[in-house]
Amino acid sequence: MRVVIAEDLALLREGIVALLREAGIDVVAQAEDGEGLLRIIGGHKPDVAIVDVRLPPGFTDEGLRAALEARKRQPQLGVLILSAYVEPVYTSELLASSGEGGIGYLLKERVGDVRGFLDALERVAEGGTALDRAVVSELMHARDGGGALAQLTPREREVLELMAEGRTNAAIARAMVVQPGAVEKHISSIFSKLDLPAGDDHHRRVLAVLAYLREG
Amino acid sequence: MAVSPPSESGALSLQAALSALAGLLVTLIWAFTGFGVFWPGWVWLGLGAALGVHVVIRRGLNPAPEPHRALRIQGEASALLVGIEVVAWALSGFGEFWPIWTTLALGTGYAAHVLILRQRPARREAQLEERVDELTRTRRGALDVQAAELRRIERDLHDGAQARLVALSMRLGRAEEKLADQPEVAELVRQAREEAGSAIAELRDLARGIAPPVLADRGLAAAVEGLGRRAQIPVAVETDVGDRPPPVVETAAYFVAAEALTNSAKHGKGSPALVRVEREDDTLVVEVSDKGPGGADPAGSGLLGLRQRVQALDGRFTVVSPPGEGTTVRAELPCGS
Repeated sequence: MRVVIAEDLALLREGIVALLREAGIDVVAQAEDGEGLLRIIGGHKPDVAIVDVRLPPGFTDEGLRAALEARKRQPQLGVLILSAYVEPVYTSELLASSGEGGIGYLLKERVGDVRGFLDALERVAEGGTALDRAVVSELMHARDGGGALAQLTPREREVLELMAEGRTNAAIARAMVVQPGAVEKHISSIFSKLDLPAGDDHHRRVLAVLAYLREG
Repeated sequence: MAVSPPSESGALSLQAALSALAGLLVTLIWAFTGFGVFWPGWVWLGLGAALGVHVVIRRGLNPAPEPHRALRIQGEASALLVGIEVVAWALSGFGEFWPIWTTLALGTGYAAHVLILRQRPARREAQLEERVDELTRTRRGALDVQAAELRRIERDLHDGAQARLVALSMRLGRAEEKLADQPEVAELVRQAREEAGSAIAELRDLARGIAPPVLADRGLAAAVEGLGRRAQIPVAVETDVGDRPPPVVETAAYFVAAEALTNSAKHGKGSPALVRVEREDDTLVVEVSDKGPGGADPAGSGLLGLRQRVQALDGRFTVVSPPGEGTTVRAELPCGS
């Protein structure tokens, strides 16, 4: 997996590089601002860009804007956004952006959970989704009161949340300590309750769930 | 217009009634004793004078603020005195018109008072106006500085303490991976990492509370849009902000919307809320309304804090919350510098 990083704080940049290196993942280039990111993705053709939302020169949302632009230029590129905040405006821009590569939005402190972080990175590299559980819980809150979500059992709700984070069925089964078959049953029940088109492709199903949650 | 307490105005009516009764009584006595010299006139004068004094004092004590109060009291007291003297002059047989001297003296005093007032206020008013201008300007300046300062603190927290804690959490995470063969130590390290995570979350809430980053990044419309999506009730947002208002106005408007939405979610029984943020000429209007049970207490700590925030910017803050008819919180914030 070829990874690039755009992060202005050396402390964090170096931390992430060291952590990835220990996991055997190659950080092929690093940038300190949005323009730098656009430069290095052109040259290095990475699979995933890890990008801090807030970058120089304005220290507002340059990172996110640059990541969206990068996705436009290289639709296959996976983008994993790191932020100190969950901000609905940012996450919905990311989810609505065009591109075929995976997308992720994680709070920075999740990087400390090395396995969880690597798992998220891998999903994004494979074209999947990795949303912070805080992002998902905001999406769920915003959708609550609409009615259909209220029909879900607590177990189904839990499955839906883990799915919206982008986890695979196997990972959901592990997290909930149940058999993969049980997860599959929950998912088909959720899809019929929410009236979503059921398909076999897991990634498409995650996108359907996210599209449903974002309508709220 | 201040309303006198009923007991006091009752005192005046009582005095008037008793005076009328006493006047009637002495007049009857005069009539029954054979219509001699008309002495009851003097009794009437005394009773009338007492009543007049009562009225003048009562009007003098009126607590409502008014310009030139002293002048009015002086005028009324002078008029009363002249009136008493003229009646006394009439009762004593219309001789030489001696009340003229008192009238002249009191009139001169009144004229002097008017003259003094005419000269002084011009200067004092100008001074006051200048002072008000200056205070308005400096207060606004202080608030602008404060808003900029808060955003700086938010950034310092983000780049400083928060970044260090994130770096710490990464190192702990790496250590944890290397301690796979020593599960007890790994567990300790994991706990340490979780505590770092809690510290980061607390810092995040703190930073968001002083200056939400999306507000600085994307402006008020986006920030309020985000509030709507984050709210635990359905929220419709209408914004028409136009040019970006000064940061201090943006921040105040944001916190009005945030707090009012929190209240609607807490007390509105799930009723949907509508947030309107609109620029009307030089005023930014923020209005949050719900169709919940109403009856909000405008003196509650949340609403009181908002009122103070809005008033510090010379804005108007209103809460309309009749029981059973929902709640509307409205702030009008002047954007001119």
